[in-house]
Amino acid sequence: MNQSRRDFLRALPAITAGAAIAPSAAFAATAEPGSETKHRWAMVVDVRKCIGCQACTVSCIMENAVPENSFRTIVSTYEVHDDTRTGTYMLPRLCNHCANPPCIPVCPVGATFQRKDGVVVVDGDRCVGCAYCVQACPYDARFINHDTGKADKCTFCAHRVDAGLLPACVETCVGGARIFGDIDDPDSAVRHLIDENKLKVLKPEMGTQPHVFYLGLDERFQGRVEGQGTLWQPSKHGA
Amino acid sequence: MKIINYREIEGRSSGFLILLAILGLLALLGLGSAHYMEEHGHVVTGMTNQIVWGIPHVFAVFLIVAASGALNVASIGSVFGKSFYKPLAPLSALLAIGLLGGGLTVLMLDLGRPDRVIVAATHYNFKSVFAWNVFLYSGFFGAVAIYIWTMMDKTVSSYTKPAGYLAFVVRLLLTTGTGSIFGFLVARQFYDSALLAPMFIIMSFSYGLAIYLGVLMASYKWTNRPLGDAVINRLKNLLGVFIAAVLLLVTIFHMTNLYFTKHHGVEAFILLNGGIYTSLFWLGQIILGSLVPLVLLYAPGISKSRSAIAFACGLVILGGLSQMYVTIIGGQAYPLVLFPGYQESSSFFDGVVHNYSPSLPETLLGLGGMAIAGIIVTLGLKVLRFLPLSLADSVADPHAK
Repeated sequence: MNQSRRDFLRALPAITAGAAIAPSAAFAATAEPGSETKHRWAMVVDVRKCIGCQACTVSCIMENAVPENSFRTIVSTYEVHDDTRTGTYMLPRLCNHCANPPCIPVCPVGATFQRKDGVVVVDGDRCVGCAYCVQACPYDARFINHDTGKADKCTFCAHRVDAGLLPACVETCVGGARIFGDIDDPDSAVRHLIDENKLKVLKPEMGTQPHVFYLGLDERFQGRVEGQGTLWQPSKHGA
Repeated sequence: MKIINYREIEGRSSGFLILLAILGLLALLGLGSAHYMEEHGHVVTGMTNQIVWGIPHVFAVFLIVAASGALNVASIGSVFGKSFYKPLAPLSALLAIGLLGGGLTVLMLDLGRPDRVIVAATHYNFKSVFAWNVFLYSGFFGAVAIYIWTMMDKTVSSYTKPAGYLAFVVRLLLTTGTGSIFGFLVARQFYDSALLAPMFIIMSFSYGLAIYLGVLMASYKWTNRPLGDAVINRLKNLLGVFIAAVLLLVTIFHMTNLYFTKHHGVEAFILLNGGIYTSLFWLGQIILGSLVPLVLLYAPGISKSRSAIAFACGLVILGGLSQMYVTIIGGQAYPLVLFPGYQESSSFFDGVVHNYSPSLPETLLGLGGMAIAGIIVTLGLKVLRFLPLSLADSVADPHAK
């Protein structure tokens, strides 16, 4: 080897600087998965096609090893009452992956973050399990995982999406009620559905800008305060 | 006022050792419970997906709020210049440290991942009120420690007043921060209120003084040191004012909530038809925790009785725990309203009041936190000169004849 000790010492600062930079570069690459993409993932739920079979609920549990009595997604079957009538409706629910998610600013250690592709995820290595994010979510979409002691929620099956697959709930939906895709892609089914239909979101008054949109959602589920003309009219809704 | 001599308590009596043994046993049971919950997960607690803050949080928040209030006696002396309260200041500061220590122990051990508390101490998201509180808690420890140092070391006694001011400001910030943890939770109908911060400050005055007065009376009785009526009467009258102030703030809080239609449901739940929460509110918080103590503290004939005053202090503490239970657990038990203006019920717990039954381990953890606070105070009194040898009227009261 021709390299002298002096050459080695001259190169030492560059070597150490490189060593110092390399891990942070590697971290940056892994800290925000999805940052390399230009997607903005979203989901449209066509409630007219939902038959309440809970196949999505089960597939999510299987795919993500969700513990007993906890759910990342569910299909709630609602009995909704007004003064005189009662109606039954099914509503698939999951994390809304909001553009303005209230769960992120409250996390004291910054464990919850939003990827560049819009998916809101929890850094399991950082979460301390304080449950403040669970309290802050207006959609009841989070819980403390009894097995891990950490905050848990729907990730749009980010591990599958990153691998080019659909979220488990979308893939398993019997009626094709869940449509997943890139809202920024003008050719995507999600984009078409948003452009061509009047979609609704849950609790729009919270200002969270949800990215789970509902097609065929009963007006009452839009979540406006009482007295603004959204009262349920049985005749209008086929009851 | 005469010169005040401070002395450690002797701490050799069988009573002292029994007290320490009981506190030690409770603390060990609490730590053992925390270990059990860590081993088996939160599933062994009564906490659920909907009620994620349980009885340990009730104890923890109560102790933290009370810690801030316990310092109030010292602040009256140092910040507001009332020399009458200066002999009472060291115990006030010790109680503040002890109560905060007990509360934080419970809070940290009840994290989903208590093993990662180092993460909470090294990573901060400054948009989170929780993260602010990490600084406020450690800042409070530091400020009170400095305050105690300036009170006990003659060489730095000239700094007592600024140290007292610093501790006073930090204590106000701490209670504001604690109240704001709930106030910023706009998703929850019962929390979403700016009034929670000032309400927590007033609550801290009441809880802290009740604990202070109880500890002061017990310490002097058990060590056979003279404690005059002047001190007791001033403190008990002050406690009555604080209890009344809490009642006023609680009334304003609920009346303000009732002004907004969207809060009618949760207010009806707490005030009228919430079962255990309604009972705890009216019976625990209002009647036993506020009205009865006011009677005991002011009614002619019994208001001078030390037993009545001590009983009133105990009731205020029970009322405070009730208030925390109603606020923390009642606020979560009431279901999130997904469809405002409608009743809803579903196959997945929507629209139904969530059940919560505290399990033995989590209750023991909470009690363990109180015991740890007691141990800190008891040992502190034994090793350092926190208590005046005498608080007889002739010593403490500048107007004594």
